[in-house]
Amino acid sequence: MRAYELIRETYFRRSYIWIAHLSWLAVYGVFWWSFVPAKTETMGKFILIGSGLFLALTLSAGILGDDIASGRICVLVTKPFWTGKLYLFRWIGLSLQAAVHLLLTGVLLGVLDLLTPKNSIEGLGVWLLATWLLFNAVAALSTSLSVVLGRAFNSLLLLVVFVAGYLLMNALMVLLRGEAGAGWLTAFVRYAWPPFELLRKFAGGEYGPHALTVGRFSLSHSVACVVHSLVLTCVYGAVGILLLCRRQFSRVRE
Amino acid sequence: MLVQTEQETACEAGVQPMVVECHGLTKVFRRPFASLDKAVCALRDVSLSVRRGQIVGLIGPNGAGKSTLLNLIAGLILPTQGRVTICGRPARSVAARRYLGFMPEHPVFPGLYTARAVLRYHAALLGLSAQSIARQVDASIQRLHMQEFADRPASDFSQGMKQRLALAIAMMSDPPLLLLDEPSNGLDPIGIVELRDLLQQLRDAGASVVISSHRLGELEKLTSDYIFMHRGRIVQFGDELTASQAGQLRVGVVSDGEAVARAALPSSRVLSVCDTELMIAIGEPDEVPDVVRDLVAAGAKITSVLLRRENIEEVFLRLCDEGDSR
Repeated sequence: MRAYELIRETYFRRSYIWIAHLSWLAVYGVFWWSFVPAKTETMGKFILIGSGLFLALTLSAGILGDDIASGRICVLVTKPFWTGKLYLFRWIGLSLQAAVHLLLTGVLLGVLDLLTPKNSIEGLGVWLLATWLLFNAVAALSTSLSVVLGRAFNSLLLLVVFVAGYLLMNALMVLLRGEAGAGWLTAFVRYAWPPFELLRKFAGGEYGPHALTVGRFSLSHSVACVVHSLVLTCVYGAVGILLLCRRQFSRVRE
Repeated sequence: MLVQTEQETACEAGVQPMVVECHGLTKVFRRPFASLDKAVCALRDVSLSVRRGQIVGLIGPNGAGKSTLLNLIAGLILPTQGRVTICGRPARSVAARRYLGFMPEHPVFPGLYTARAVLRYHAALLGLSAQSIARQVDASIQRLHMQEFADRPASDFSQGMKQRLALAIAMMSDPPLLLLDEPSNGLDPIGIVELRDLLQQLRDAGASVVISSHRLGELEKLTSDYIFMHRGRIVQFGDELTASQAGQLRVGVVSDGEAVARAALPSSRVLSVCDTELMIAIGEPDEVPDVVRDLVAAGAKITSVLLRRENIEEVFLRLCDEGDSR
């Protein structure tokens, strides 16, 4: 019952959540109808960025920060269960939301493909899987950040940080190409940052030098990409849980 | 498997005498990367215990450390030094939280949830079964008289409704220890009377309650055990506080009040005097017969005798002044 109620509360905490979901579905429908992507890859990338990044940040960025800033968490952490479960079940709620959202996206695009058979949706399932994996990782990272920031509605701040961080990393990699530090930076971006590039290549069918392993078969590369994404999600989540369990919930008195 | 300590077993059985024990609690707040001179010492070497069935009022001026102490007992913050236990368990542990019901000063609820849904949510967080949840929710609604607004969304609630709901959440499953931060905020006079009756029922059932409140007049109606705090320290508590309430004896006489006072009493004890009334400082109620006898012996024709003791608000103000002057 505890898990059910925490997950349910994640679904029904704010009415804007439903607006966000429906809006994105409408955007996908409009994109499909209006721009008529020639290849599934274009639609897939659009969904990967839209749901895997933007929707994930919109829904998760302030989720625990809202509880902390409002003071609601003061009652929750005095209940007789491990505080880490609060983080865990919130994240599971987000992940389930995303799964439902992406299933609906698949159904929507399938229906649109039936109505306008001018595009192929072959391989879209892999893109949806990659999006879900990216969503989970980004949601875990931003939820962990919201424990530190302790502020509600910090989606915009996190989005700016993400985009700025991504651009900065790319700029540094170009500048440092050939230098000793470039290797460390590349490794950090590849293994520690939300695996956007990796999952894009996984869904798009590329398994080149960016793959985690050097196996000969595409299945091993695919499994490695999925495992890498899940491991990163677990690491982000573990950090968030640790921070939440050690956090104190009181304002500084001046 | 959770191994119960003897104290924990005793607490559950209602035998454990001390529900809360604080030893040498000190709390210093310091922002990250801030210098030490900007640190705020909210609590200094506080030690106290609350026994089973006791209702204790925390009183003190703003910044005295009442909420800090409450938050330390609830496990919301960690002490800089010292320790606090609830029924023998460290305050922040999951085991201690089984004995705890906490009501914050400004309760907040998920806006789309009704009161019933909020109660169900918190009952589920306690780990109750589905049948127990339904029973607890109905019992809480009845107990706190929330029938009128049980099915309205929490976003529509007045402050008083929020207080009732927060109190219902804290009291759910009858914890041995209740921590209430400003419980009478927003309650009308009927609500305060109901709160008092409720707390007395809880005390009779063996629960302990620690209340922090600025409203001394209402606190006086809820409890007679106080802990007075000032600048992070406990200044007085329990029987010392109530015993220190000074008394004033108002004696009505037919005439010659001044002459009688001069003849019968040292000038230091006479607070005010006129022809038909004397106001005399009294330390203990036992002194009254002696004072009256001395006045009669001095020739006073007494028409009335009235003993008035400081109320808690007057004690509070006096102790604040004494604390500030130290």
